[in-house]
Parts: sequence; C-alpha cells; structure tokens
Amino acid sequence: MNEVFTPKRLGFLVPHVFAMAVIGLTKYTWVESGVLVFSEFIIVPVVMGIISAWFWRKLALPGRKLSLFVIYNTFIAAFASAVFLGEGSICLLIVSPLIFGFMVMGAFMGAGMFKRNNQKLNVSVIAALMFIFVADSLSTHHYENMVSDTITVNAPPDKVWPNVVAFKRIKQPNKYWLFRIGMPSPVESTVTGYYEGAGRKCIFSNGYIFDERIAAYQPGVNLTFDVTHQPRDPEIMNHIDILRGQFLLKDNHDGTTTLTGNSWYRLYVFPVWYYDIWAESITRNVHLRVMEHIKELSEVGVDSLESKVLSQK
Amino acid sequence: MFNFFVKYFGILKVVPFAAQLFDTQLRLWELLTLSPVPKYIDDIEGEVLRWPGVDKSIHKYGGLQFNFNGRELGHIHSNGLLDLRFSRAIKEKLLAEGRATEHHIFKKSGWISFYIRDYSDALYALELLKRAFLQNSGRL
Repeated sequence: MNEVFTPKRLGFLVPHVFAMAVIGLTKYTWVESGVLVFSEFIIVPVVMGIISAWFWRKLALPGRKLSLFVIYNTFIAAFASAVFLGEGSICLLIVSPLIFGFMVMGAFMGAGMFKRNNQKLNVSVIAALMFIFVADSLSTHHYENMVSDTITVNAPPDKVWPNVVAFKRIKQPNKYWLFRIGMPSPVESTVTGYYEGAGRKCIFSNGYIFDERIAAYQPGVNLTFDVTHQPRDPEIMNHIDILRGQFLLKDNHDGTTTLTGNSWYRLYVFPVWYYDIWAESITRNVHLRVMEHIKELSEVGVDSLESKVLSQK
Repeated sequence: MFNFFVKYFGILKVVPFAAQLFDTQLRLWELLTLSPVPKYIDDIEGEVLRWPGVDKSIHKYGGLQFNFNGRELGHIHSNGLLDLRFSRAIKEKLLAEGRATEHHIFKKSGWISFYIRDYSDALYALELLKRAFLQNSGRL
C-alpha cells in the first residue's frame, strides 16, 4: 500500500481531494448559488501548493521540477473541474494560469515553511489563509460592468439603423482567438417587430439564443434591449450574465455615422481584477464582430430585414 | 515583454502577490516554451546555496532571492533576469565589462541587471553572484 501512496503521488492526489471538498462545501453551503469567490481561485490553490510541498518536502525538488509538478497538478485540477464541476475547456483555459500561479506560489511558500520547520510560522500562515477564505466566502459578491465600443460607418444613420435592429447571418471568419478555438460568437439577430417591447433574438454560432426585449426604440438614434433569457453553458456563460445591450447612432452630418455598442454584464466569478479582463475582452469582441458586420451591410447597401418588412407594408 | 509590463504595470507591485503572480506566469512561459533558463536557474541555485551563510527566499517582487546572513545578495526573476547590488565602484567596473547593464528600474543605484539566456550567461551570472557574495562577506 505504501508503495502505491508514495509521498510524490500523494502530492498529486491529496491537494485535489482537499480542493474538491472545500469547493463542494462552499458550493452547497454558504456561498451564494452560482458564485465562485476569489478564495476558490487564490486561497485554495495556495493551500494546494502548500499541501503538495508537504508531501514533496523530502524529495528536495529543484525549482524547475517543482514548477513542472505544479503544471501537472494544474492539469489534474482542470480535469477534475471538468468532470466534477462541469466546467468547459475554454473556461479552464482561462482559469489555468491563475490556478498555476497561486499553486506554484503555495508550493514555494510550503517548501520554505517546511524547510525551516517553524511550526508557529506554519500555523500562522494556515490560520491567516483560513481566515481570509471564511471571510471572503461569507461576504456578498456583486460586480457589474459596462463595456463600450465605437466605430465609424460610412453610411448615414437611416441606412445603418435597419441593420442594427436585425441582421442577416455573419459569414466572415472569426478573428478573435477565443472564437476561433470554439467559443460561441454572435452570428445573427432577429426581431418580432420594430417597436419598443418587441422581442429580439441574438443567435450564436453554436445555436445558443439570447432572448431580448427592446426597451428603447428610437429609429436612427437608440436601440436598447434587455436580455430576458440566456443559455446556461459550461463555456463562460455560466459565469457571466449579459444584462442589457445598446446601440447608439450619431449622425456625423458628412454621410457617416458613429456607431456605439454598449453592453452591461454581471460577473459571477472572482477576483474581478482577473476575470473582468477576460469579460471585457470577450464582450468587446462580440461588439466588434456585430458592429463590423453592421458596417459592412450598411456600406454595401444590402437590403435589411426592416426595409423589406417596411416595403411590404 | 518583461520591460513593457514593468514600465506600464509596475505600479501593480504594491498589490499583494501581484508581482509574484506575474513572476509565476514568466515561469510558466519559460517551462512551456522549453526554455533552458529554468535549468540554469536551478544549477545556479544549487551552486550558490553551497556557499557558507547563503540561503534563499522568495523575492518580494517574485523570483528566487539569495541572502547572506539575512542580507540580500541578489535575485533572479523567472525569465532569467538577475539583479544584483554592488558598491558604485564595482558596478562601474562591471558595466565597463560590457555584459551587465544598469538595473532595469533603479538606474542611479548600485544595482545591476543581467539576462541569463545561454550557458555562458549562466556561468557569468554565477561569477557575478560570487562577487556579490565576496563583497557582502567582506572578502572583496
């Protein structure tokens, strides 16, 4: 039995059992439903690193090997998250550098702690980490942000507007690397009517549909819509809610229009200083993909859905 | 890339663990790109820790720090950037040798910087650390 559970192997096993137990405990007990607090991405990996260092303390691992072992542990953590927490691969790709960073920090901290064998220091470090974890888990977590992007369309607002409200399928290949590796990107938008209160759908490349309700409809000026239903998916969308979207058009009086896209979202993963970088980047690229498509449609004078509808009336 | 981050995001080092996290990402990059730098750092670490009175710790801005009797000799960031502190006179001499450069941030100090990229750099880095050790132990 001892030959199976060698210290080296235990360093690859016990930290994950610990992490799953802690995350399971927080998920089903005191943390708000669906929220992943910053401690789960910082304190837990640090403690995982310390636990590994405890099992590996007699192996006298040089820095490079210790780091490589932590990379293996990051892969194991990603695999376990996919299996037990149902996380998607892109989500895991995003989180891995953070997990690795704090796990390697913990491993080096642990290597120092157990080398000195200063029990008082060790107990203090663990107690401090536990205190932060509990305090963070019991805190309220709420973060909302807005991303805004602007482009100039070489067409007047009355030509741009119909393409803003609804647009035909985007056929251009994706440029953003996350879309290229499989993250769903917007491809089409439809509406049930051209008035305030009408339903709107934003369809994504994998068939996901965001149901929206038009909250402001001012032709040639402002289209604002509230997201009323969005898909729950392992890839990112389980950790972010898009709350509202908006397109503002400004007539430049020179035959061009300044088109501004705004999106409001709520994040359910913390720390925001890490995840908001990704959320902003993804939202920005959703904007740009749609806005560049609107620009293309408007500039070549493609007939819009609205103009077809209006011409039929 | 390192200089870009230090120049434009260096202020973030006041955020607890931000610099260490950055250093771990440098380490991850070096490992994933199969760079020889982590091995050189390990070799240097193995040699330096044999010197009397020398131990190691985690540098406050990330990386491996060497200390002599509790006083810092220098540190190596995970991308192979070695930072060492000398007297101004020794610094001038080292700069004149043409391999080390002014410290990447503290230019008007005794600190110098040196990038470890290949085996000969690793040998020179060890030589620099030896000089720092000799200076701090009063043998230079």
